[in-house]
Amino acid sequence: MSKYKRRQNIYKKLFCLLSLFIVAYLTYPKIVKYFTYLDTDKILAQSSLQNKKFTQKTQEINMDGFSAYLMEEHSVPIVSLDFAFKNAGSAYEDENKQGLTSLLADMLTNGAGENDALAFKDICAEYGIKIGFEASNDYFSGYMITPKQNLPIALKLMQDVLYHPLFDEDYLQLVKQQLLTILQMQNEQPTSILSNKFNENIFAGHPYSRPDLGKSENIPDISTEDLREYMQNKFAKNNLLIGMAGDITAQEAQEMLNTVFAKLNQSADTNGLSKLSLQTNGTEYNVAKKQAQVMTQFAVAGTYRNSIDFYPLYLANYIFGGSGLGSRISSIIREKEGLTYGIYTYLLINDASALLVGSFSSAPENFDRAKNLLLQEWHNMAEKGATQEELAQAKKSLLASYNLRFASTGDISSMLLSMQKFALGKDFLDKRNDYIEAVTLEEVNAAAKKYFRLKPDFVILGNITEEEN
Amino acid sequence: MNKLAKIFCAFACILSFQANAELFKASEFTLENGLHCVVVENHKAPVVKSMIWYKVGSIDEAYGKGGLAHLLEHLMFRGTDKVKDGRFNTIMDENGVQSNAFTSYDFTAYHQFADISRLEILLALEADRMRHLNFSDEAFEAEQKIVIQERQQTVENNPNSTFYERLNLLLWGNSPYGQPIGGFTDEIKALSADDMRAFYKKFYAPNNAILVLSGDIDAQTAKPLIEKYFAHLQAEKIERSVPPDSRESYDETLQMALPDVTTVKIEQRFMLPNYNSLQPSFYAYILLAEYLGGGETSELYRNLILKDKTAVAISTSFRYITRGNSIFSITMLPREDTYTSLNNSVELLQKHIHMAMQSFDESKLEYVKRKVLADLVYLQDNPEDAAYMVGYMMANNFTLEQIQKYENGINSVKTQDVQQAYTELMKAPKLSAALLPISFKGGNNE
Repeated sequence: MSKYKRRQNIYKKLFCLLSLFIVAYLTYPKIVKYFTYLDTDKILAQSSLQNKKFTQKTQEINMDGFSAYLMEEHSVPIVSLDFAFKNAGSAYEDENKQGLTSLLADMLTNGAGENDALAFKDICAEYGIKIGFEASNDYFSGYMITPKQNLPIALKLMQDVLYHPLFDEDYLQLVKQQLLTILQMQNEQPTSILSNKFNENIFAGHPYSRPDLGKSENIPDISTEDLREYMQNKFAKNNLLIGMAGDITAQEAQEMLNTVFAKLNQSADTNGLSKLSLQTNGTEYNVAKKQAQVMTQFAVAGTYRNSIDFYPLYLANYIFGGSGLGSRISSIIREKEGLTYGIYTYLLINDASALLVGSFSSAPENFDRAKNLLLQEWHNMAEKGATQEELAQAKKSLLASYNLRFASTGDISSMLLSMQKFALGKDFLDKRNDYIEAVTLEEVNAAAKKYFRLKPDFVILGNITEEEN
Repeated sequence: MNKLAKIFCAFACILSFQANAELFKASEFTLENGLHCVVVENHKAPVVKSMIWYKVGSIDEAYGKGGLAHLLEHLMFRGTDKVKDGRFNTIMDENGVQSNAFTSYDFTAYHQFADISRLEILLALEADRMRHLNFSDEAFEAEQKIVIQERQQTVENNPNSTFYERLNLLLWGNSPYGQPIGGFTDEIKALSADDMRAFYKKFYAPNNAILVLSGDIDAQTAKPLIEKYFAHLQAEKIERSVPPDSRESYDETLQMALPDVTTVKIEQRFMLPNYNSLQPSFYAYILLAEYLGGGETSELYRNLILKDKTAVAISTSFRYITRGNSIFSITMLPREDTYTSLNNSVELLQKHIHMAMQSFDESKLEYVKRKVLADLVYLQDNPEDAAYMVGYMMANNFTLEQIQKYENGINSVKTQDVQQAYTELMKAPKLSAALLPISFKGGNNE
C-alpha cells in the first residue's frame, strides 16, 4: 500500500512537473516576446488617436478662358497662389537664347509698375509677401504667398509684374552677371556637373538635353526685347494652370484671379515638344574628374502619369528603391554593406519623357561592387518581382502618409497645381487611396518585368581621373 | 529668393538659421524624470511633427574622438532589445512616417513627420531607444563605413570644404567648435563600438532631452501619452564640460587657392560672447545683421552690388543659438574683374559698413524691425518649421517664454543699441579669409 501510495505521489509530482513544463512551454514565448518585442501594430490598434482624413474639398473656379483649383483652409491667415504656363519652360527657348527663362524669372521681381527693384523688394519684405518665378523644362511658374491682411498689396504687385515689368537695363546686366557666376560655380559642384552630363547624354538630341539654367555663351546676347517677346508669346490663358489655397472663399478667389490673370492673351504661341523615347542598352558615359567619390545617375524608359502602367510601376519602384532606407537596394547596398551613404530610384516624368531613374555615389574602391549589386537586384526585380508582403507594406505606407501633403498652405496650393500638370482631375484626392489599394501583385510584377528588363544607361562622374584619361 | 543667394547659402551658412520666433500656441511641461516637453498646436491637417533633441553634440566628444556623436546618431537606427536591427526603418516605412536625424555641435535631434494616428508608435519607439539601444558589431562596422561615405559625399566631394574646415580650425583654435561636426576620416575609423556605448549611456537620458510635438494635438492629450512611454525611464546624472569662452584677441587672415574652385569668395567671422552675455542684447545683433546684409534690400547689397558694382553677392548672418560663442559672419563674392586682394576687399567692406552705420537712424531701425517681424506669421502655418524652431532654441537653453517673446525683444531695441552692437563687433576678434581659384595662387597684387 505504502509502496503504491509512494508511487502515486511520484506520479502526482511528475504530473505536476510535466504540467508546469507544458504551461511554461506554451506561455514562455509570449513572456519572452513581451519583454523582447515592441508590438507596434498593437499600439496602433489600441491608440486613442484615431485616423482622421483631411477633408477639405478641391473646388474648381471657372473664369473666362481659364480655370483654377482652390482649397479653402481658414485656420491660418495666409493665402497662397501657385501657377504655371505650360510649354513655356527652358526647353522652349530659342536654341541660341538658352538662359532666357532664368533671366526672365529673376527680372520679373526686379521692378514693376511704379516700383523700381528696391521699392518692390522693400514692399515684399516689409509686408511678408513672397513672390517668385522659376522655369523647369516644361513650365514657367510663379508663386505668391502673403498674410491675408496684405492680400490687396500682393495682388497689385502681381498685376504689375505680369503687365508692367520694368526690365531695367542696369538690373539686366547685374542679373546676367549673377547668372554667369552661378554657371561658373556649378562647375565646382559634382552634383551639378553630373546632372548636366546626365541631361546631355540621356536626352541627347532633345531640348531636355540643355543645361539647367542656360548657356554662358548665349546669356550676354539676350535683350529686354527678348524677355518681353517671350512673355507675349508664352504667357496666356489657354496654357495657364493655377492652384490656390488658404484663407479665402471661392468668391474672393474669383476676384483674385480676375485681378491677376484676366488681361492675359487668350492663347499662347507654343506647341508641345515631340516625345522622347529612351532606348538604353547598358552604356556607360564616363566623365573624368578627380574627386573623393564616384557618382552616378542611371536611367531606363519609364511610364507617363496617366498610363495604366503608372501605379503598378510606382509600387514596384517604391519597393525596389523608392521608399528610403528600407527599400531593397538601400537595405542591401547601404544598410548591410555600408557601400554608400544613399541609393535610390524614382520616376522622372516630364511632359515629353518618362523615365525610371536612380542615383548613388561611392568610394572608388567600392563603386564596382555597389554597381554590380544594383544590377543583380535590378535583374531579380524583373525576373522574380515583388512579394505579397512587400506590396502590402508599400500600400500601407502610401496610405498612411496621405495626410502629410496638407502640412502647410504652400504645400496645398503647389499640390493643386501639380494635379493639373498631370491632368489628374478635380476628384484625384478623393480617389488617390483607391488607386493605390486597387493595384494587384500580378500588375506590379508585370510592370517590373516590363521596365526592369530594360538595361539602364549609366552616366558616371569621377571613375577615371583626367591624368588616367 | 535670388538663385545666387540660395547657392551662396548652401556653401556658406551650414547652420546660419535665421531665427524668427514667436506667435504660436505652445505649452510646456516636465516629467518627473526630467524630460522637458513642448506641444505646439496646429490643427490644419491631422499630422504631427515629433522631434526629440538631446543636449549632446560634437563639442561633447573627447579630443581625438571626432565623429562620435554623429556615428552614434546613425546607430540609433540599428536596433534595441525590443526592436531588432532593420525593424525600426520598416516600422517607420509601413506607417508612412518620414523619419530622420541630424547632429550639430551642441545637440543631436531625431525627428519624424507622420499622420497623427501614428503618434503613439513614434513615442514608443523613441522612448525605447532612449535607454535601450543595443546594436550588433556588424551594424557598428556597416554604419562606420556609411558615415565615411557620408563625409566623402557631402564634405570631401565639395571643393570648398577644405577651406571651410581650415577656417573653422583657425577661428576657434583649441575649442571643440573648431573641429568638423562629423569628425575627420581617421578619427571615425579609430572609433570603437564601446566608445559609442559609453557616450550613449552618459548622455541619452530623459533629463538631457527636449521632446517637441507640433501639429494636430494639444498638451492635455499629449501629456498622458508621453507619460505612458517615457515616465518609467531613469534619469542620469549629466556631467558636461562648459565650452570655454574662445575670445582671445586676434585679427587673422587666411588665404587658400584650391583646384576646382572657380570664383573668389571672401569670408569674415567675428567672435562674440554667448547670447546670454551679449551687450546690449542679442536682439540688437539680429537687427544689425539684417540691416547690413539681410537680402537684396540691405545696405551692403545696395552699396556694393547695385551702386559700386564691386560684388555679385553679399550676405551677413548672426549665429547665436548655441551653447558656445556667437558668430557674426559676412560673406561676399567680389566681381572678379574688380578683385585685387583680400586686404583691399576687407577694407572695402569696413568702409561700407562704416558708411551704413553713419546713416543708421530711427526710421531705418523701424524699417529693419518690420522686415524681421513680417515673416513670423508663417510659423503658424508650417508645423515642421515651428517644431524645428522651438527644439533648436530650447536645446541651446532658451526658455519657451524667451521664444514666445521674440517680437517684444526685437521691438525693445533702440538705435543706440544697434550702434553699440556695431562698436562691440568692431572690437571683437576676427578672421578674414579668401578662397581663390588656383590661378590666383601666390596672391594677386599682394
